Amino acid sequence: MLAHNESHMEHKSNAYTRRSLLKTLGIGAGTLALSHFAGANAFAQQLPATAKRLPSFTGPGPNPYWNSVGPMATYPQKAPLVLLTDRPVQLETPRNYFLNAITPNEAFFVRWHLESIPNEVDLSSWRLHVEGNVNKPLALSFSDLLHKFKPITLAAVNQCSGNSRSRFGPRVPGGQWGNGAMGCARWTGVHFRELLDMAGVKSGSVQVQMEGLERGKGPHGMPSYEFKKSLDLSNPVLDESIVAYSMNGAPLPTLNGFPVRLIVPGYFATYWVKCLTDVRLLDKPNENFWMNPAYQVPDTPRGDTTPADVKAGKVKMVPIARMPVRSFIISPDGTTKIPAGLPVTVRGTSFSGFGRVVKVEFSESARGVWREAKLGEDLGPYAFRTWECAWTPEKPGKYDLAVRATDEKGSVQPDEGVWNPGGYLWNKIERQEVTVGESA
Amino acid sequence: MIGVGKKRRALFALLTGVSVLAVGAIYADLQIGYYTSSNLGSVAQPAPPHLQNDGVYSVAAYPLYAPQLASGVGRQDTAAYCNTCHTPSYITMQPPLPAAAWEAEVTKMGKVYGAQIPTDAQTRIIKYLQTHYTPETRKR
Repeated sequence: MLAHNESHMEHKSNAYTRRSLLKTLGIGAGTLALSHFAGANAFAQQLPATAKRLPSFTGPGPNPYWNSVGPMATYPQKAPLVLLTDRPVQLETPRNYFLNAITPNEAFFVRWHLESIPNEVDLSSWRLHVEGNVNKPLALSFSDLLHKFKPITLAAVNQCSGNSRSRFGPRVPGGQWGNGAMGCARWTGVHFRELLDMAGVKSGSVQVQMEGLERGKGPHGMPSYEFKKSLDLSNPVLDESIVAYSMNGAPLPTLNGFPVRLIVPGYFATYWVKCLTDVRLLDKPNENFWMNPAYQVPDTPRGDTTPADVKAGKVKMVPIARMPVRSFIISPDGTTKIPAGLPVTVRGTSFSGFGRVVKVEFSESARGVWREAKLGEDLGPYAFRTWECAWTPEKPGKYDLAVRATDEKGSVQPDEGVWNPGGYLWNKIERQEVTVGESA
Repeated sequence: MIGVGKKRRALFALLTGVSVLAVGAIYADLQIGYYTSSNLGSVAQPAPPHLQNDGVYSVAAYPLYAPQLASGVGRQDTAAYCNTCHTPSYITMQPPLPAAAWEAEVTKMGKVYGAQIPTDAQTRIIKYLQTHYTPETRKR
């Protein structure tokens, strides 16, 4: 659609079109210059179009866009973010924020399961409880957390289990995230183990369960009423976990879990319980809905399976755990044409839940001739690691840029997607089509 | 894709007309100064809140951006029952899902999550979603 057909609000100010400029210069029609053009009609068809909007949904095929397609929405303490759902709140971080290894608090994605989340917390009565199978139950104030423990700071990526779910084929129901349900912050707080030790875990304890202020309108005891997650006490990730009261040197935004949330480095965000209030030591494993069947993945390589195998009941499921290695192209993003011959810095980010990203490779074509990219600052094994690669597209045309990362365990991103009924664990090689135009 | 009708090259016109300019002027093909209306600028910035130095930490009400559900039989049941726990954005966000997937979703809301929906209303909700939100039927 052409702009001048679409709106009479169209405003053409100071418009030096070719003809008016030539007229100003006193050159009449029919000069050598104008003979290069097909005529006035062809020129009129090239008026700038009004920017097209994204569709309101994608599918049944995969979402082809980097982010999900919802409108931009503003929420308290937040910059405009991509809206998935308004109640419960789910917001996605726009692509451009991932140029930096640290995601700003105001841009950090938001994902709640239930609708009754706090608008207000009174720290004069708020307590963090450590209870259950312990020798000495604790009720700690925010001030206790600040002053009775040695603070620890760790940069770590928080990624929704369903990040990139909209890439699945066939599509699966659930939050239709693009790639922006992830972020990396510097989390400061208290060693989770220190809290457990202070309470004195009794022998016979097998799991620690976390619950926060998140509540729903459903009947008590049902998953539509409460959200509870647990981790095995034998899991070494507990040694690295933190109860964080600070995010990037500031209080956590309420939508990200003020006053404290659990940080489980390398693990998907489902365990990073927000607005944490209750830590419970259990003497038998908890099997509530949010542990099983929710957030379960096939016990297969990459968590991959097929709809047929699921239907046939052939697939053994296990709780989701660490995040597979991923990398992303952030710039160029395909919205700007690049003149041939212009040196461009391709930039992006990467991470792995299994430790440091040790290599990022870039390719300018689908043929996959890989070049090693330069890695950005190392903020720790569980943080975003930015990367960049100099690239000069010599000829006009379409380029299919690609990026893949390798982590310290030797895992390389595959060029195949994954499929499982929950829409989890996506880590396929990311691509970006870029248009290079003529420059002479 | 927006088609570009005609490949455009930068054009250099060497002007030699004696009455206009004594030297050559270089002209590159360009367009400038086109504007259009938009509704994206209609969201006002929030004013800074007034804060007290007590222990209460609060944020403003979370805004709703609930979309319109497709009109048709069963819309009222769908809006009423589903809205207890979530707004219709949970429906409109989904890709077009096969009829069986909608039936499974609604059944799960009752059996697994604990939504209390009478059987006849549940039947109408499933029918409504299948009528408007499958690959064959979804319009918007």
